Amino acid sequence: MKKKLVAVLMTAAMAATLAACGTEPETENTPADTNVTVAPDGETTDVVVGQGSEDAIANLIAATEGTVDLTLWCSETEAYQNVMAQLVDEFKAAYSDVDFNITIGSQSESTCKDEVLKDVEAAADVYVFADDQLNGLVEAGALQAVTTTYTYNPIEADGAGAVNAASKDGILYAYPLTATNGYFLYYDSNLLSDEDVSSWENLVAACEREGKKVAMEFSGGWYLFSFFYGAGLECNNLANDAVNVCNWNNETGLAVAKSVQDICSSDAVINLGDADTCTQVTDGNVIAAVNGTWNTGVFEAAYGDGFAATKLPTFNVNGQAVQQGSFAGYKLVGVNSYSDNLGWAMIFAEFITNEASQLKIGNATQEGPANLVAAPQIATPAIAALGAQSNFATLQRVAGNYWTPAGTLGQALYEGGLDDAGLQKALDDAVDGICAE
Amino acid sequence: MKNFLQAIKKYFVDLGTAIVKGDIWTKLSLVIFGAGYIGHGQVIKGLLVTALEAGIILFTGKISWPYIAKLDSLGTVQREMVLDPVTFQKVENDYDNSLLILLMGVLGIIIIAAFVFFLISNVKSNYRIQKLKEEGKHVNSFLEDLKSLVNEKFHITLLTLPSIGVIFMCILPIVFMICIAFTNYDAAHQPPSNLFTWVGMKNFINMFSSKGGGSYGYTFARLLTWTLIWAALATFTTYIGGILLALLINHENTKLKKLWRSLFVITISIPQFVTLLLISKMFSNFGIINGILSNIGVTGALQKMGWITTDYIPFMTQKGWTHVMIVLINIWIGVPYQMLSATGILLNIPSEQLESARIDGANKWQIFWKITMPYVLFITGPSLVTSFIGNINNFNVIYLLTGDYVTADASLAASNAKDVDLLITWLFRITADSPKMEYYMASVIGIFVFVVCAVLSLITFSNMIKGDREEVFR
Repeated sequence: MKKKLVAVLMTAAMAATLAACGTEPETENTPADTNVTVAPDGETTDVVVGQGSEDAIANLIAATEGTVDLTLWCSETEAYQNVMAQLVDEFKAAYSDVDFNITIGSQSESTCKDEVLKDVEAAADVYVFADDQLNGLVEAGALQAVTTTYTYNPIEADGAGAVNAASKDGILYAYPLTATNGYFLYYDSNLLSDEDVSSWENLVAACEREGKKVAMEFSGGWYLFSFFYGAGLECNNLANDAVNVCNWNNETGLAVAKSVQDICSSDAVINLGDADTCTQVTDGNVIAAVNGTWNTGVFEAAYGDGFAATKLPTFNVNGQAVQQGSFAGYKLVGVNSYSDNLGWAMIFAEFITNEASQLKIGNATQEGPANLVAAPQIATPAIAALGAQSNFATLQRVAGNYWTPAGTLGQALYEGGLDDAGLQKALDDAVDGICAE
Repeated sequence: MKNFLQAIKKYFVDLGTAIVKGDIWTKLSLVIFGAGYIGHGQVIKGLLVTALEAGIILFTGKISWPYIAKLDSLGTVQREMVLDPVTFQKVENDYDNSLLILLMGVLGIIIIAAFVFFLISNVKSNYRIQKLKEEGKHVNSFLEDLKSLVNEKFHITLLTLPSIGVIFMCILPIVFMICIAFTNYDAAHQPPSNLFTWVGMKNFINMFSSKGGGSYGYTFARLLTWTLIWAALATFTTYIGGILLALLINHENTKLKKLWRSLFVITISIPQFVTLLLISKMFSNFGIINGILSNIGVTGALQKMGWITTDYIPFMTQKGWTHVMIVLINIWIGVPYQMLSATGILLNIPSEQLESARIDGANKWQIFWKITMPYVLFITGPSLVTSFIGNINNFNVIYLLTGDYVTADASLAASNAKDVDLLITWLFRITADSPKMEYYMASVIGIFVFVVCAVLSLITFSNMIKGDREEVFR
């Protein structure tokens, strides 16, 4: 999910105005996220655990002189900052022989890569990022490969989906932290029944009946993807990192586009960005919305005892009900390969991603841990819904050219009024843009 | 032009004369810079100059030459790093950093060029001293030279530091950034882990063709047109608005002049980041303005008239609407500035002109168009040009207002642009906002923005000072 600079500035400049909406971010979790259906690029090579780990850490302590400076970048949200500060204190206590100076910086996971790549050598030693940035970071050499760990083995401890998301070409490049970066459907169960939220057709009809709205960001590539992926179409850069492969302009794609345009033609369906969604939900205009865990609080407050969440609805393609897909995502912790204190950076990254730390982070942020033992201990309706949706989700693996053309396609479908030829042209144009080198 | 060519000719003739007619010391100073000074009795100066020469040669040989030597390829050895898991020691190969090679290479070449320039002036200077000596005139001692630097050669003392500053702060970065336009420096070729290299004119060809690497040619033409329209509209509206507002406030019947002036200044004293972002939220599809308009029925009326198809007014999300809104909002932001400068000018209009016009029976309208306006236009001409150029590069207003805008034009989308983008905001979007970070394209755009601005400034400024127009108002 691309976040705009504006959003950051906005948050900074007018925190008060936006207080209700938190920041927009990236995280989702699923306790049972093992079903992520991405073409796996092979088994992740197992890491060597504890290769003389006691000795290695003892050696490291012995070899360390003076103060060790480490910088950690993590989400700017209060919950994250607080829990990380707590973990830093615990880390210092655990390795009390060494004098640490650990700075925690605010850097939204969704834009972490951009910041890191501006100047890799000046970036943080340890940073939290969204898994879709993994390939770019690996390519830029900004991630230290996790070929050896010292305190626990991420491949065994964390869900397979998270490990897969943290790997490239069979090598683990980051420590999985949370498994909550995806979207699903929030709704008000006082107004909508299970039947109503099972398909877009029912949902639209129900919202028209209630005189209310259902919201989704159709003009954003992150959400629009869900319809085409659900219908079995592909759009990814698995073959070549820099170039997307996309077949949205075939016959099925045309049917999907028609279906989306039909859905959007109802006055009950509105295209809303993240911030507007929060406002409209709070105002009571929107009684169902495709959104993610970062806004759980907003929906909970607005819907009260009617607060509910579930997997995304089905929609109609050529007369058949098709389950809407989605992107699944993870938060990962990476170690900067240019760190001056690489050894301590690795030990620190392990520390904040181990089972106990993931549980603490999960409790503090309501995001589901990637750790298999910790995950079932954090349970909310939103995380459960994400778990259900994860059966139809895929990893976000698209090259940079995807976003703007896909957003423009979504905008065109939402504005509507296109006949078959018009839709085909819109799809062809979008695919040209998405697949450009 | 003729003078310029003659100056160049003289420069080299002087050099030739110095070499041919110089004595052994002068000739020797071609190799050892201080030789001439020492031979003609200026020992300290000679030693200093020789030390400087040695410094430059040492710098070039030890530091900048390894980079200059790799300038043709910008490096060939990619970085590889191995971590020893037991000792935590990193082992790196001796890799090339393309960015550093380019930067240090450019710096090295600039210093070599300066060295050549220094060499030529040095020989000439030595020849001058040789002649002084031959003619039996006084040759300055080192102390006298130092004293002259605070007296008749004071300009040299004053200008040395700024000149060095200009070289390092202006010339070096500009040359460096122009060079980027001829490389493939982007997210996939990012030092220090990856190398980038020269691609010749490829980026310029892409920029002006519709094939290959998106549709830059189309986007460039569209955005350049809008940029110029925008700059003209924005400059014109704020200019006229500012003068009218100033006239209004200065009018004899206006009460509380200072209060009005202060109120308008408040709009510009709040940072644009705050006001513009706030405004863009107010005018968003579900913002407060749309809420009010919908409640009082304006939205419904527009729908009936067929102006809009949505159930909100797409102030900031549809082309046409957004173009107009940006210009209107810019008036609100820009008018107070013009009002302030116009106020000062209006107070300075020679009162005898106004008086004689009044005696001759001119009415207020005539006075405004025949005296006030031409006078203001003449005084503010240069600042008008500056503000036009400023508007071509008016990043804030466009970028901060159009964060929610999604283009419906697939060709623009393919090159990461929006209908309402200026060249300068497009430049930002394809680097900072796009995962591809196409620095090379940004550099190409930058070069063309510079060309457009430079040409416009030259034409307008030279027209403005043409003829005797400066005399008219004296």
